[in-house]
Amino acid sequence: MNTRNLLEPGVYYLQGAQACLEGAITAGCRVYGGYPITPATEIMEHAALRLPQVGGRFIQMEDEIASACVLLGSSWAGEKAMTATSSPGFSLMQEAISYGIMSETPMVIVDVQRPGPGQGYITTSQEDVMQARWGHHGEGSAIAIAPASVQEMYDFTIEAFNLSERWRSPVLIMCEENVAHMRERLIVPPLDTITVINRKKPQDLGIPPETYLPWGHDVVAPMANWGEGYNINYIGLVHLEDGNITKYDLAMHDRCVRRLHDKIEGNVDAIAKLETKFVETCKHLIVCYGSVSRTAIEAVVEARQVRGIDIGFLRLKTLWPFPEEQLRRILPPVDTVFVPEMNLGMMKHPIAEALRDRCRKIVPIPCLASLHTPEYILAKIDEEIR
Amino acid sequence: MKKHPMLKYMKETGPQGDRMPMIMCPGCGSGQVLNAILHAVDRLIQEDGARKENFVFITGVGCSARLTSHYLNFDSGWTIHGRTLAIATGALLANPELRIIVITGDGDTGAIGGNHFIHVCRRNLDLTIVCINNGLYGMTGGQVAPTTETGISTTTTPYGNTEESFDLCRLAEAAGAPFVARWTTAHPHQTIRTLTKGIRKKGTAFIEILSQCPVHKKQSPVQMLKALKQGTARVKPGEPPVEGKIPIGEFCNLDKPEWIQSYQKVLDQFSNHRTPVEV
Repeated sequence: MNTRNLLEPGVYYLQGAQACLEGAITAGCRVYGGYPITPATEIMEHAALRLPQVGGRFIQMEDEIASACVLLGSSWAGEKAMTATSSPGFSLMQEAISYGIMSETPMVIVDVQRPGPGQGYITTSQEDVMQARWGHHGEGSAIAIAPASVQEMYDFTIEAFNLSERWRSPVLIMCEENVAHMRERLIVPPLDTITVINRKKPQDLGIPPETYLPWGHDVVAPMANWGEGYNINYIGLVHLEDGNITKYDLAMHDRCVRRLHDKIEGNVDAIAKLETKFVETCKHLIVCYGSVSRTAIEAVVEARQVRGIDIGFLRLKTLWPFPEEQLRRILPPVDTVFVPEMNLGMMKHPIAEALRDRCRKIVPIPCLASLHTPEYILAKIDEEIR
Repeated sequence: MKKHPMLKYMKETGPQGDRMPMIMCPGCGSGQVLNAILHAVDRLIQEDGARKENFVFITGVGCSARLTSHYLNFDSGWTIHGRTLAIATGALLANPELRIIVITGDGDTGAIGGNHFIHVCRRNLDLTIVCINNGLYGMTGGQVAPTTETGISTTTTPYGNTEESFDLCRLAEAAGAPFVARWTTAHPHQTIRTLTKGIRKKGTAFIEILSQCPVHKKQSPVQMLKALKQGTARVKPGEPPVEGKIPIGEFCNLDKPEWIQSYQKVLDQFSNHRTPVEV
């Protein structure tokens, strides 16, 4: 790790947006391309300040389409790159995300979610969580994670870069406006205790250009970069292992797309992370993600201690790939599953699918444009469980 | 049989079979443009000692885009329609040593990629844009382009094009590109000379090559090449452009600060010392 001018180990009082960018440069991000949009702009402004200090480059592009494309070019030329945007900008980035999936490009995009549709408003939301999975055209998945605190804006951003390099995939940090704007304590641990993963390269594996197959060798192919003599050709069409589409046939098409899909969906256990409390024998359950998990856990503790309701807590740290089998493995059959979300019910769909025969009822607790209070969640629990 | 001198830069075959003959339609000008580009690159490698490994060819979508991935034995990207220049910007941010040549078409540059195009010219990034202008969308079957002349019938202007067309060179120059030129496929030697200068130029070089699409224009390639010769006139310094002819030649070659170099001055402020991190 090149530690020059990184945020030193210690205790800080920081904004989520700043913690995110500090995590990125600690993970090795040295290119940032962005376009201003409320409420994500603070990440970009901090990038403009900090990237040159660590020997990286920052650019304000002409739009979000271009910002996401900067990540493609930078990654192929050998640097880790990031951009941050908010929901309308995230829509514009879907084209590059889809291309990033096909070309297996490590890249990190932060979506500081604001409510929609349209310009919606500039407050908080979790309304893009389905867009993170289904917004881009075509098959193939990106990885999406959901931080809930300033500490996690730092930690999860490092994890996002590690996942993107490890799996050669776009990684989407789906945070909410309130997490990006929140100020709270950040602890930076000793830098040598932080794991930083870099992409596997053919040079490291002793594979010369003559025998290098850009999409071969392993489940996650070693990645040659531009300028290294590998004559690497990044391509957005379905392709053969040699990185070309010289002879198209359906079997090749099927093999290419299934491999991309299975690389992520088939490794969900290695990628996805959950957090649970009180779930071993619980009668009811709350499933949540992002900052909603912070008020939800208060509601759960209150429900258990004061009202005597046996309710468990499950938080999705990873939204996509959706850890369906993990949920089914660790959860007992339950009666009612509450899903508080800052939307009208989005992640409740894969949750309901995963728990289709494991629960009696799914109860969404929607809240638009503001964070649920514990009381709000408790009232819904009371309403349902007499 | 003696081989074409530029075949050394191309993939003739691969694990999945032969790549030649090219997929371009008979009489297409794209192969001529590729030939000219490779001659210019060859000069840089032979005469300037430029590293072959540093050349990167980036294309978008369309006929022009097919030139890289299929055939070139260089680093390359067959990327997103219109986004070539944004991707090239990212690559230069990561590695300014790369010699990026973007091969693009008039639709790629003038329509879907127009915004990226003007901003690359404005920033003056060190790369070369070769725009093969055939005046229509060839790959999708001959639709109208922003460069199609008024009055021309295409599949999406069956009653004739009612819009005005773009002059991409004037656009590039106005947006700030320091090196702007136009030739045609009927001017191979001039094209090679200008491409060589353009690639050598520290800054954005925009070189438009007017090319023929015999298939969608439904004309013979020979007739079209003759028309490209007769319908164009070389610009002469201090003289007004010839009435009724498309100006060709080198329109400007200015010294302007290149953006990566300008930004490097910001980086250099922090290169030798630790900076107290203010957060």
